[in-house]
Amino acid sequence: MLLFAFVVLVPSARGVYYAFTDWDGLSPDLSFVGLDNFAGIARDPDAVQAIWHTVVIAVSITIIQNGIGLLLALGVNSLIKSRTVLRVFLFAPAVVTPIVTAYLWRNLLGPDGAVNSLLGAVGLGRWGQDWLGDPQLALWSIVAVIVWQFAGYSMVIFLAGLQSVPKELYEAAAIDGSGPVRRFWSVIRPQLAPAITINLMLSIIGGIKLFDQVYALTGGGPGHATDTISTLIYKDAFTLGEFGYSIALAVVLTIIVAVASTGQYLVLARNERAAS
Amino acid sequence: MNRTRLAAVLAATVIIGAMTACSSGTNAGSGGGSDVLTLASVDQGSVEDVIKAFEAANPGVKVNFTTSGADQYQQQIRTQLASGTAPDVMSVWPGNGNPGATYVLAEPGYLLDLSDQPWAARLPDAVKSVAGYEGRTYNAIFGLNGIGAIYNQEAMRKAGLTPPGTWTELLTFCRAAAAKGTPAFALGIQDNWVTQLVLYALVATTVYGTDPDFDTRMQAGQATFADSPWSTAMAKYQEMNTAGCFQKNPLGTSYEASQELVATGRTLGIVQGNWVVALLKGKNPSGTFVLKPLPATDDPSTFVMPAAAGAGYGVNAKAKNKELALRFITFVMSPEGMRVFNAKQGSLPSLPDSGSTVDPAFADLTTFINDNRTVPFMDQLWPNAKVQQTMLSGLQEIFSGQSTPQKVLAAMDADYRAGT
Repeated sequence: MLLFAFVVLVPSARGVYYAFTDWDGLSPDLSFVGLDNFAGIARDPDAVQAIWHTVVIAVSITIIQNGIGLLLALGVNSLIKSRTVLRVFLFAPAVVTPIVTAYLWRNLLGPDGAVNSLLGAVGLGRWGQDWLGDPQLALWSIVAVIVWQFAGYSMVIFLAGLQSVPKELYEAAAIDGSGPVRRFWSVIRPQLAPAITINLMLSIIGGIKLFDQVYALTGGGPGHATDTISTLIYKDAFTLGEFGYSIALAVVLTIIVAVASTGQYLVLARNERAAS
Repeated sequence: MNRTRLAAVLAATVIIGAMTACSSGTNAGSGGGSDVLTLASVDQGSVEDVIKAFEAANPGVKVNFTTSGADQYQQQIRTQLASGTAPDVMSVWPGNGNPGATYVLAEPGYLLDLSDQPWAARLPDAVKSVAGYEGRTYNAIFGLNGIGAIYNQEAMRKAGLTPPGTWTELLTFCRAAAAKGTPAFALGIQDNWVTQLVLYALVATTVYGTDPDFDTRMQAGQATFADSPWSTAMAKYQEMNTAGCFQKNPLGTSYEASQELVATGRTLGIVQGNWVVALLKGKNPSGTFVLKPLPATDDPSTFVMPAAAGAGYGVNAKAKNKELALRFITFVMSPEGMRVFNAKQGSLPSLPDSGSTVDPAFADLTTFINDNRTVPFMDQLWPNAKVQQTMLSGLQEIFSGQSTPQKVLAAMDADYRAGT
């Protein structure tokens, strides 16, 4: 507890204090500015936009990644042949450092990159896009890269949940004449509740805090079209030296994470209880 | 009672913690190895050779170095300086206006005073003014750099075109090049620092060609970006874009990819700093490249080129190996070090008697510098780093239709007026 206080609580509290100052990150003198930094965030269109992007990314990753993860888990759980190979194959991207996959995809998604070349080669050249340079598309390209990387991760957690479903339950339901959809909804889904809770929690927190992939893929650009709260915190602190403002943004981020994860936990825990 | 005891335990823990931190810091300082130098640089493609020569001249010395692009480097070096993990020697930009600039880093005391180094007294005044802070020298500036249009001569021959000499010719050149399927210039503005180069090349002539004292008037509050020929330059940048001067999808193209385009002749040229030529030759060793002023008006006698002291090297005030750091700086500023750096970067030596020869590709730039027809990179004299950052993301927004030149210039004015 003491260790926790010194390693986490005290530095965090000190950090929060800086959110109420105009510290520039380098010079030792700073002055107290009250809530000015927080008022600044509300007035700053870039910050408001970044908060919105963060919400969009977190929600869409949570839905798409877990949807795909669940389908993959159901798939590799039922396939008999080559399922071990498939599991390894699907999980592999999650093992690689996000920054590495992001730089890889930055090349693949370039105007002359492999994705557009591939589309051209199969006669779909006009579907080719400036995936990361078009402000309408860039955010979704980032979501796609993250889903590509971490759907396998969600899959593994779902798979663990699926394998704990007793075979008898499943067979009994089949004998009673229920179809695959009915079996999934009434037998598997309640048993999967803990896995769903963990997966949703992990992906929503990961989505809200997202930094590496955005920074490597677009740097928050073009302009501010893909800036998230985290990339803005980084830029404001280390490029512009506005540490006070940037720490205020970090406080906002912390509050968002806390509210989202607590709310989600309460809802899902209630569902888990109802299911069991 | 309990509370007092808890407080005592807490206090003891803090003190022990602090002592441990101090002692380990000192150990790291003295035990870091007397013959290992750490260095962070933005001079990709040239610093490697200088390090090799330095190591050869100093047997037993090992230089651990990293290189990165400008925007990444500026963020990284501030993080390292703030956390006390910065290398002994680091790239430092001249003047003010960006997060890695001399004024910005010298003011809080992060850089070692180099005023007593023998070369410091010999720096030309124009260089000395941006190499120091409050009369002391902090930045070993070894070269002068310029921005212009760099042409791949083989690609130009194949296309049957010659470098344009006026603004009108430039637009004709762009259309002709686009019609042949090899666009005139590669533009890699996914990396946002690249967005400024074409603009600087145009602003040099449109703003400073007629008003050399523009910066003085800006500082006095008598001029603004929005109501100056900066807006003309912005309009010309857009006009170049609509005339097809750049390849498709510049916003999705990285700096790296843009080099590839011009080195392999898929575009005829690139608007960049002279430092890119070393990188282009790395990608296409048999290629020849030439740097010309980018025409911004129809009267070549009004042309001005952006040319200024390039990034140099500063010594970390808390360098673990100060002696070796100074030895490296001395080497960089010696005729031998300067020759290697400037030959590789195609920059001009900052010391008049260095004995370096200038790459013939930069004949025009040399003439402009000798004729005093150059202007420092605009951001070097801006009061804070935000003006440039606003311009960089603003230009990306203009290119993606999210903003307009007038909005961006007004935002730059607001940041400029906010001062330091």
